[in-house]
Amino acid sequence: MHIFVVEDEKTIRRELKVLLENAMYQVTAPDTFENTVYQIKEEKPDLVLLDVNLPEISGFDICMQLREQTEIPIIFLTSRTDSMDELNGILKGGDDYIAKPYQAPILLARIAAVLKRTKGMEIKETILLEKKGVQLDISKCCLIFQEQKVELTKNEMKILHFLFRHSGEFVARMDLIEYLWENQIFIDDNTLSVHITGIRRKLKSIGVQDFIETKRGIGYRI
Amino acid sequence: MKLMNFLRDRGLLLLLHLVCMCVAAGFLNVTGYGRTNIVLILIFWILLLVAWLMAVYLQRRKYFYKMEQILEKVDQRYLLGELMPDSFRLEDRLYREMIRKSNKSVIERIRQMEDEWKDYREYIESWVHEIKAPITSISLLCENRRHSLPAEDSKGILEDFYTITLENQKIENYVDMALYYARSENVYKDYLIQETSLDEVVSKVLMKNRLLLIQNHVNADVDCKDKAYTDQKWIAFILNQMIQNSVKYQREMPVFHIYTRRETNGVILVFEDNGTGIPAEELSRIFEKGFTGSNGRNHERSTGMGLYLCRRLCDKLGIGIWAESEYGEGTRMFLEFPISNYISRGEMD
Repeated sequence: MHIFVVEDEKTIRRELKVLLENAMYQVTAPDTFENTVYQIKEEKPDLVLLDVNLPEISGFDICMQLREQTEIPIIFLTSRTDSMDELNGILKGGDDYIAKPYQAPILLARIAAVLKRTKGMEIKETILLEKKGVQLDISKCCLIFQEQKVELTKNEMKILHFLFRHSGEFVARMDLIEYLWENQIFIDDNTLSVHITGIRRKLKSIGVQDFIETKRGIGYRI
Repeated sequence: MKLMNFLRDRGLLLLLHLVCMCVAAGFLNVTGYGRTNIVLILIFWILLLVAWLMAVYLQRRKYFYKMEQILEKVDQRYLLGELMPDSFRLEDRLYREMIRKSNKSVIERIRQMEDEWKDYREYIESWVHEIKAPITSISLLCENRRHSLPAEDSKGILEDFYTITLENQKIENYVDMALYYARSENVYKDYLIQETSLDEVVSKVLMKNRLLLIQNHVNADVDCKDKAYTDQKWIAFILNQMIQNSVKYQREMPVFHIYTRRETNGVILVFEDNGTGIPAEELSRIFEKGFTGSNGRNHERSTGMGLYLCRRLCDKLGIGIWAESEYGEGTRMFLEFPISNYISRGEMD
């Protein structure tokens, strides 16, 4: 996935690039804006992140010029929060409109949503994750070990999903909780411990011991 | 205008007539005029005087009545000078001219102040937009660094990044308050009423504050199935203020229950916490500007602006807002979204 970033603020541009590259996107972020429209047409990115207030040219104009020839999805990034601006952005052909200061997870989620909507693309998730013989079935929401099965709650499912995805490395408790909050599970530290205990009990019931490692003050690893 | 007042006002004139009558009667008497004739002349004189006074009184009363009517009807009363009824009397015309001049200067002054205020507000708006760029930079920087640090050996630095992120969010919140305060005057310019999933807005606001809430060990339980017709941005701002308050005034094991329920006249969103609560005698005043109450004084610094702004915005959007609380038990804040055909009711402004 290739994302084209049009942002005049140097630090924001740099950090956006880092953020998006960490999220496995390919990023182009030029620092001059004279030929932006031409450049975008040449590069043919999958998505454009477009700042509204640019030196000399308005993001709305770029959007309009692009829309004359292409259907590249465009997300406006702007510090203006007027409803009129928002409406303007959508009327000019933008696919989404995100107000500064945005937060990284929100930005990534909206990018993914627009890509999914316009390209019909979704990052393919494997439905069956596996580690040390223990299988996590995401569609059926259960754990499987040697033909034995145990059902998981939604919260336990999300916790395990995160751990499986980062298997082999220590996952900080804070990162885990943050991930849960990003997925509409609003729990604190203590509740997380309770859930982990619950998961361990379930693992034990299907004959798995010491599957989740704990490192004091840091977090968990599977 | 009362008749008595009018006559009292004409006291000198009446006195003059009385003196004249006496002098005339004395003079006629001396010149050998008949008594009856003198009495007749005086009666006739008095009749004429009374008729004259009545005519003047009625005419004046009508004039002032008209002016009062104009004052009642016009919403900008300083425009009276332009609207005063015509009068043939010299004094009226002079007064009118003077009032007109004085009003003109008032109008100019008002215009000037309005311009200044508009400039100021526009400056605040543009300032807010500019400061959002560095806030965004800091937030992205922290986010990126935070996730690139190895978890094992950088706990101290990690803590610093959390602190910076949280402080940055505080700045953002204060900046937003300034923006919404400047805007709450003219909401009609800046709302987009649309079907809003309350669940989505609540999740968004909770997620935005996740660092603050996680660090404060908050558990939140969200059950907002209902939708409302309202402006997302403003509701998010209001919910944000409520969250800030609940975090500020929390006790051990803070839990937020956020849920909606449908009622005959609309959807009600309830934000319930188990914090310190509000003393009964202060409950009615929490939405007042600058009111901090005993909670505000005992806890972290509080400006008394958050809830005031919430109520102001709610008033403009036609949303009901109120609170219930048991001191020491917790607080319930309510937002009532009127039934979905709000727009057609045309209550805006």
